[in-house]
Amino acid sequence: MNIDKFYKKKQGEQYIFALALGLVISLIMVIWIVVIILSRGLGFFWPGEIVHITTKDDRQYLGELWTEETRKEHTDSGIVKINNTQLKTGNRDVYGIDFVWINNATIKSSDKPEFAVVFERKEYGNAYGYISSVQIGDSNYTYSEEKIISIAKKAFDSAQKNHENLLDIQEQINDLLAPLTRIQREISLLEFKQNMLTPAEKKELEILKSKAVTLEQSISAPYQKLTDKLAEYTEIDRKINFTLSLADDRAVDLKASKIVRFYLPNQMNVFSKSVHYISKLWELVSAEPRESNTEGGIFPAIFGTVLMVILMSIAVVPLGVMVAIYLNEYAHQGVIIRAIRMAISNLAGVPSIVFGIFGLGFFIYYFGGSIDQMFFSDKLPEPTFGTGGILWASLTLALLTLPVVVVATEEGLLAVPRANKEGALALGATQWQMIRKIVLPNAMPGILTGIILAVSRGAGEVAPLMITGVVKLAPAMPFDLTFPFFHLDRKFMHLGFHIYDVGFQSPNVEAAKPMVYLTALLLIAIVVALNLLAIFLRNQLRKKLKTSAF
Amino acid sequence: MSSNKDKYFRKLYLQNRIVKYIITFAGFSSIVSIAAILLFLLLESSPLIKGAKIEEIFSFSLPDPDKKPLLTGTDPYMRVYYIMSKDGVIKFYYASDQSLMRSDTLSNFSEEKILCVSRGSLMKDVFAAGTDRGRLITFRIRFKNDFIGQEPVVNINLKVLDIYQVDPGQQQQVNHIEELIFRENDDLYRFYAWKNHHGGFNLRIYDPDEEENYLHDIKKILPADFNVSAFTLDFEGSKLIAGAKDGRLTWYDISGLKNIELIQHWEAYRTEISALGFLIGGQGLITGSAEGSVNLWIPVRIKGQEFEFQKINSFESHSKAIKLIIPSPRDRNFLSIGSDGEIHLNYSTTGRTQLKFSPTEEIVSMAAFSPKSNAIIAADSKNRFGFYNLDNPHPEITTKTLFGKTWYEGYDQPEFVWQSTGGSSEFEPKLSMIPLIFGTLKGTLYAMFFSVPIALLGAIFLSQFGTMKMKQIIKPTIEIMAAIPSVIIGFLAGLYFSPLFEKFLMEIMLFMILIPVFFYITIVLWRFIPAGHKTGLKTGFELLLALVPVILSLAAAFSFADLAERVFFAGNFQQWLFSVIGVTYETRNSLVVGFALGFAVIPIIFTVAEDALSNVPESLVSASLALGASKWQTVRRIVVPAAAGGIFAAIMLGLGRAIGETMIVLMATGNTPILDINPFNGFRAMSACIAVEIPEAPVGGTLYRVLFLTALLLFAFTFVLNTISSIIGDKLRKKYARF
Repeated sequence: MNIDKFYKKKQGEQYIFALALGLVISLIMVIWIVVIILSRGLGFFWPGEIVHITTKDDRQYLGELWTEETRKEHTDSGIVKINNTQLKTGNRDVYGIDFVWINNATIKSSDKPEFAVVFERKEYGNAYGYISSVQIGDSNYTYSEEKIISIAKKAFDSAQKNHENLLDIQEQINDLLAPLTRIQREISLLEFKQNMLTPAEKKELEILKSKAVTLEQSISAPYQKLTDKLAEYTEIDRKINFTLSLADDRAVDLKASKIVRFYLPNQMNVFSKSVHYISKLWELVSAEPRESNTEGGIFPAIFGTVLMVILMSIAVVPLGVMVAIYLNEYAHQGVIIRAIRMAISNLAGVPSIVFGIFGLGFFIYYFGGSIDQMFFSDKLPEPTFGTGGILWASLTLALLTLPVVVVATEEGLLAVPRANKEGALALGATQWQMIRKIVLPNAMPGILTGIILAVSRGAGEVAPLMITGVVKLAPAMPFDLTFPFFHLDRKFMHLGFHIYDVGFQSPNVEAAKPMVYLTALLLIAIVVALNLLAIFLRNQLRKKLKTSAF
Repeated sequence: MSSNKDKYFRKLYLQNRIVKYIITFAGFSSIVSIAAILLFLLLESSPLIKGAKIEEIFSFSLPDPDKKPLLTGTDPYMRVYYIMSKDGVIKFYYASDQSLMRSDTLSNFSEEKILCVSRGSLMKDVFAAGTDRGRLITFRIRFKNDFIGQEPVVNINLKVLDIYQVDPGQQQQVNHIEELIFRENDDLYRFYAWKNHHGGFNLRIYDPDEEENYLHDIKKILPADFNVSAFTLDFEGSKLIAGAKDGRLTWYDISGLKNIELIQHWEAYRTEISALGFLIGGQGLITGSAEGSVNLWIPVRIKGQEFEFQKINSFESHSKAIKLIIPSPRDRNFLSIGSDGEIHLNYSTTGRTQLKFSPTEEIVSMAAFSPKSNAIIAADSKNRFGFYNLDNPHPEITTKTLFGKTWYEGYDQPEFVWQSTGGSSEFEPKLSMIPLIFGTLKGTLYAMFFSVPIALLGAIFLSQFGTMKMKQIIKPTIEIMAAIPSVIIGFLAGLYFSPLFEKFLMEIMLFMILIPVFFYITIVLWRFIPAGHKTGLKTGFELLLALVPVILSLAAAFSFADLAERVFFAGNFQQWLFSVIGVTYETRNSLVVGFALGFAVIPIIFTVAEDALSNVPESLVSASLALGASKWQTVRRIVVPAAAGGIFAAIMLGLGRAIGETMIVLMATGNTPILDINPFNGFRAMSACIAVEIPEAPVGGTLYRVLFLTALLLFAFTFVLNTISSIIGDKLRKKYARF
C-alpha cells in the first residue's frame, strides 16, 4: 500500500496534467484567434437576408440582420437579460447612422420582403429600400414590384455605360488640355517672379504666351465638340434616377450613377449568392478604397505592401546571404564570429519601433535631407526624399529583417555537405568558385526560407512603417506609367497600417469593422501561407542535413 | 597559350580576392548597423544634456553718456535693434553693422524726461513710459519683414497709442513717475501700476470695450506698515503683487477691474524684496531679495480650497541684491540681474541656473531677450551696450525633470507627468519618462504573468511527453502564432477582446478562479479510475484530459457569473470596483493588453524553451530512467535543471519582445500616461509613445530628442536582455557539449 502510494507520487500525474494544461491553453489561443478572423472576415460578403421589422410602437425598420446578442442590464431587482437584434439599416444620409439595436421584446412582426433591395453606393454606404419608380430620360416608370426590378436593371446598365462614356470624355478633354496647362503653369511660374525676370526669361515668357495663344486656337474646335458631348452625357446621367421607398414609406431619390451595384438578397439562391460573393472578393483585391477606406477595395494597400517587400528583399537578401557566407566560409577568428553573432542576435531583439525612429532620423531626415539639399534644392522647403517614402520604409525594414535572412541562410549553409566543399577545393577550385558552384546551390532552400520569412515579417510589420512613409490614403502609387516609373520618394499604403487606420482612426468604426476583419484575414492568410512554406522548406532542409551529415 | 591560361588564373584569383573583400565587408555590416543605430540614438539624444552657451556678437559704448538707455529690444529675426533713452528718443540700428537706421521721438516736450519704461506683453512690442511730468505714454513698435527681391527689408512702425495725465489737478512738475509696470493683455485691456516720488502707489486699468479708466489708490488698501519696495503685474492682468522692505508680499486680484481683492498676504523673506517678475503663462512669480536670493512661487490650491502662492524652487543666489527679473518670451527661462552686474539665466521649473555671466565690470542697468529667446541684449551703467547670442536649445530638460518628480505650474505637488503638447504657446511641455517606463513595465509585467507559466508548461509537456506526431503539428502551429502580425493582435485586442472582457468580466474572473479548482477535481477523479483501465491510453491523452477542467470551468463560470455578481458584488461588479475599491474600469485596460501580448510572447518563450528542453542530451535522460526514476522525476530533476539556462534565455527573449512591442499596446490601451498599477486601466508605453508622437515632433526640438532618448532606453533594455540570454545560451551549449 505504501509502495503503491510512493509510486503514484513518483509518477507525478497531476504535474503532467498541469503541463498539458499549459499547452492546451496556448493551442486554444491560436485556434481562437484564427476562428475569430475567419468567421468575421469570411461572412461579410455573403449577402445577408433583409428583414422588415415592425415594432410594437409601430416603428418600421428595414435592414440586414447583423448580430443578435444578450445584454445584461443591472437593475434594482437584479440582473435582467435582454435579447437585442442589431440591424444594418444603412441609409446613412437619411438616418445619420448605419445600425440600430432593437429589443426583441418590442418586435411586433418581422418578415422578409421579397423585393427589398440593397444598393451599394459610392457615397454614404448602403441604402435599403423598395424601388417605387424609375426615371429614364423624361419618362417615369411605375409598375408592379416585379416588373420594376427589370426596368431598374436596364436603367442601371445604361447609367453605368453612360457614366463610362462620361469619364472617357473627361479624360479626352484632360488629354487635350494637357499641353496648354503645362504651358500655362510655366507662364505663371515666370510671372510670379514679376520684375526679377532676366531678359532671356522675358523673351521666353513672350514665346510661351504666343505658343499658348496658338495652342488655344488650334484646340478650340475639338474642345467645343468634346464639351458638347460632355454636356449631353451629363444630361443623360442626371436623368436616370431611382425613387426608393424606405421602411417608413419615406421616398428617397437615388442617382443611378452613384450606385455601385444593387441586388435583392431575399430572392437570391446559393448560386447567385456565390457569384455575388466572388465578385465582391474580386472588388476587394482589385479596386480602390471608398468612403475613407471603409468600403471598396484595398488594391493600393496590397500593391504598396508587395512593392515594399520587394524593395526590402532587394536590399536585405544579398546582404544577409553575404553575412551568412562570411560567418560560415570566411571568418576564422572566434572573437569576430562571436561579435557578429552577438550583433545579429541583438539586431533581432531590437524593438521594431526603434528601427522606425532610426529610419526616420537617419534615412529620412539625415540622408533624405542631404539628398534634397544636393539634388532637389529647387523644390525646397517642400521635401522630396526628406520625408517618409517607400524607399526609406523598405530600407528600415531591410535592417529589421537582416537577422531573419542571416539565420535562415546559415542553416542552409550548414546543410551543404563538407565533402562536396572539400572535394571542390581539392580539384583546384578557388574559394569563390566553390561557394558559387557548390555552396550556394545547395544552400538555396535556406536562402529561400530566409527570403520568405523576411517577406512575411515585412508584410506584417506596422510600427516602423507608420513613421517612415505609410499613409492612410496615397494620392499616387509608387509605381505608374509616368517617367521614371518607380517613384521611390512617394508615400504608400500598407495592409497592416490599413488595419490600424480603418479600425482605430476611422469615424465610423462599427461600419468599418468588417473591412478590418477582411483585411486582417487577407494579411494573416498571406503571412501564414508564407510561413507554412518556410516551415516546409526548412523541414526539407533539416532532413537533408541529417542525411548528409557524414 | 600559357599566357592565356595565366591570364585566366589571374582573373580567377583576382575575382576570388575581390569577392572575399566584399563578403568580409558585408559580414561586418551587421556590427556596423547595430553600432550605427546605437550611435545615432546617442547622437540625437545627447544634445539634451548640453547646457546653455552665450557668446558676444558685438558690444560698443553709446556715444552720449548722459542719455541713459531705458529700453532695448530687437525684431524677431534680429536684423534691427533699438535703444530708447531718457529724452524719449528711440534709435533703430542695423544689427549687421551697428549703423543707425532711423531715429524717432516719443514725446514732444523737449524738457520732459522719461523716468521709466515697462514692456506690456511678452508677445507684442507694446510699452508704456512714465515721465517726470506725470504722464503715461503708451506706444507700440511693429516690425514688418518685407522682401524686395531676395533682400529682406525691415519696416518699422512706431505708434503712440495713448497718453494719460496722472492726477491732472496737481502741478505737472511735481508728479514724477518713478517706477512703472504696464501690461496689455490679449483682450487689449491695459493695466498700469506706478509709484511716484511722493510715495504714492496707484493702479490704472483701461477697459477698451467701455473706453473707461478705473483708478485705484493701492497705497490706501495695503496692509499696515507695508513699505512697497517692488511690485509687478502678471501678463493676463489679473494679479498684482507687491513686495515690502521687510520681506512681506501681498497678492491682489485685479481681474474685477472696479474692485480689488486681497487674496494673500505673507512673509517671503526676512529682508527687502528688491525685484519681482512674472513668467510666461502668468503663474510663476519670481522674487529677488536684497540678499541676492531668487525664488519661484506658484499659486497652489491649499487643501483643495483657495489658491496661495507657494515657494517651489530656489535658484543659485547672487552675491548682491537682485535688481531686475526679466522673463523670456518663449519659455520659462528668466534672467535675474544682481546689482553687481552679474546675470543669471535660470529655468523656473527645473530650478536650475543654467548660465552665469558678467558682460561688463559695471552694473547692468537694463537687459532684454530677443523675441525668439535666442539672444540677450544688455547695457551697463556706463552705457556699454552688448548683444549676445544665446544657445539654449533644451532648457527644460534635466535628469530630474526626466526621471524625478517635478512641480509644474497648475499642480498641487511635484509629480511625474508626461504631457508633450498643449493648446497654447504658453504651454509648458512636461516630459517625465517615468510614466512611460512605468507603462512599459506594467504592460510587460501583466503579459509575463500570463505568458510565462503557459508557455513553459506547454514547452515542457511537448518536449518531454509529446509524441513525434504531436510535435510535428504543434510546433508549426505555435510558430504560426509567432508570425501573426502584431497589428492584427492589437486590432483584435482593441475591437474584439476588450469589449468581450468588459461584457464578460465576471465570467472571466470566475473562470480564472475556477480553473485550479476544477483542475484539482479532475485529478482526484482520475485517481479513482483503476490503473488497469489506464494502461491502454496513448501518450498525449493528457491533452484531452486537460481540456476537461477548461471546459468545465468555462461552463461553470458562465452559469454562475450572475449569481456571484449578485452575492459578492452587489449585483454589478464594475460598480462595486468603483465604489468599494475606487477603481474605474476602462474598456481598454492592462488585462486585455497582458492577454494580447501573450499572443506575441508565448510563442517566443515556447519555441526557445522547447528547443532548450529537447536539446538536453539523451544520455542524461536515459541514465536517470535506467536508475529507476519515473518519467516525471527525470523531467523535474534532470531535464528542467539541465535546460534552466535555456529556459531563462527564453524568458529574457520574451521579456524583450514584450517591452518593445508597439502596435498591441498602442491599440489595446487608452494610451494615457498614468502611474497606476491597477489592472483595470490603461497605460502609455514607451514604444507606443514614440509611434504616436514622433511624426508630430519638430525635428531637433526637445520632444524629438526626448523621444530618441526613449528609443535609446528601449534599445538598452532589449540589448541587455539579449546579451544576457545569448551569454547564457553560449554557456549552456558549452556545458552540455561534453555529453
